[in-house]
Amino acid sequence: MNNNPITTALARMRRSPYQAMAAISIMAVTLFLACAFFVVSAGGQEILKYFESRPQLNAFFKSDLVPTPLQIETLKSKLLGTGLVISVKYISKEDAFNIYRDLNKSDPLLLEAVTSGMLPASLEISATNPRDLKNISEMLKTESGIEDVRFEEDVVSSLTHWTNSIRLIGLVAVGIHIVITFLVILLIIGLKLASRKEEIGLMRLVGATFGYIAAPFVWEGIFYGIFGALVAWGTVYLIILYSMGFLLSLLSGIPILPPPILFMFEVLGGTMGLGVVIGAIGGWLAVLRFLKQ
Amino acid sequence: MITAQGLTKKFGSVLAIDNTSFDIASGEFVFLIGRSGSGKTTLIRLLLRDLAIDSGTLIIDETDVTKIPNSKLALYRRNIGVVFQDFKLLTDRNVQENVALPLQLRNIKTVDTDSAVKAALETVGLSDKRELFPAQLSGGETQRVAIARAIVAQPKLILADEPTGNLDPATAKSILKLLRQIHEELKTTVIMATHNAGLVDHSSLRVITLESGKLVKDTQKGKYE
Repeated sequence: MNNNPITTALARMRRSPYQAMAAISIMAVTLFLACAFFVVSAGGQEILKYFESRPQLNAFFKSDLVPTPLQIETLKSKLLGTGLVISVKYISKEDAFNIYRDLNKSDPLLLEAVTSGMLPASLEISATNPRDLKNISEMLKTESGIEDVRFEEDVVSSLTHWTNSIRLIGLVAVGIHIVITFLVILLIIGLKLASRKEEIGLMRLVGATFGYIAAPFVWEGIFYGIFGALVAWGTVYLIILYSMGFLLSLLSGIPILPPPILFMFEVLGGTMGLGVVIGAIGGWLAVLRFLKQ
Repeated sequence: MITAQGLTKKFGSVLAIDNTSFDIASGEFVFLIGRSGSGKTTLIRLLLRDLAIDSGTLIIDETDVTKIPNSKLALYRRNIGVVFQDFKLLTDRNVQENVALPLQLRNIKTVDTDSAVKAALETVGLSDKRELFPAQLSGGETQRVAIARAIVAQPKLILADEPTGNLDPATAKSILKLLRQIHEELKTTVIMATHNAGLVDHSSLRVITLESGKLVKDTQKGKYE
């Protein structure tokens, strides 16, 4: 005798496969959006971190000047003393030339055009907060011996802007789809409840509790969530793997691909959790609504 | 067992049960008779608390039925066996599974459920039909299954709402005989709403007569009038 709500839910799904497929499909679309949104959002965050962790500001000494160790240490102490700076690294004229050679090793013409004394010494500075880059820059410009200051404020601020925009758009899109999915789950489970009106009526009369009646329908919603999450996550993962070549060239030098397996399993867990919550609440609300009628 | 005082139920402006009072002792077998619309089914549904009571008091087995919160209704109903005119068996479950339903709701062990179902089916004489589905049974057999389901958890009270209404006279007689046998063997209180004058007249049992929701007659060894 089958008294297990889980096997009852699975049996009911098998008996009406088209309704189950409709529910899983809508759940998969919503969870695909949520999953993709989460992956893109996390990727954006990593790219932002990458840019934030790079030296964000370069202060170039006058090209004819070779700063003394005392001058360098004084400037370093002054910068670190502001509390706005995480680290300061001195790049000598030789270091600058070596970096230039590494970057242009495949272009002999560029290598020949520059000699070791031509490039200025500089300081590579990382700020605690990208918003302070402008203040640090203004301060450095007043220092004697500093000829030019350059920083990537625009890159970081536009990345922050994009990340925030993606987050907002993603949250709105996922929110709207969650509402639609709730309604579809309510409708599908509501149809199943209506087709079992007599049975549910009898169960109430012979002493079935709300939990006993609701359990198979709640489990059905949970299964829609689990299967929908698997489809959504699998699709997102396949898209990432398929477009890996393109993404690697697009994000050249930014080490976020391929996504770590552990991260992808965390995404699966989160997606499944969301699906289970939507399905369970949808099923529970459908039964509550039906029994109150 | 049952004490009703000033029991009243309205559907809009229609008084379905009008200030009705009665007492039923434990172990009694009572017929509830009256024309269609006299309030028999409404009274059965009030006893089962399938309908809310508008006013009056109803005490069943020392429980004030009017004060049972919705969250406790399921537990209350588990103490009552119910038999319906239209049988109300689950068509996708076989005889054994239908009879086991009240025990499954109580989370009773499978072994105990099996033995209780076996005993109930023996009582109603359907031991050999346990694997059949409702569609494979006759009307009389279907009602016997419903009675087995009503007695399987050994309730103190059985409410039967026109249990012979859909059956031919001979089968109806056998169903009443079965209910009386259960009443005598298990000492269960039985309240049976019926239109069947022949059954009432030959039984010499207590008869409560309803008319337009009012209790108009309550006689021991009554007749269908």
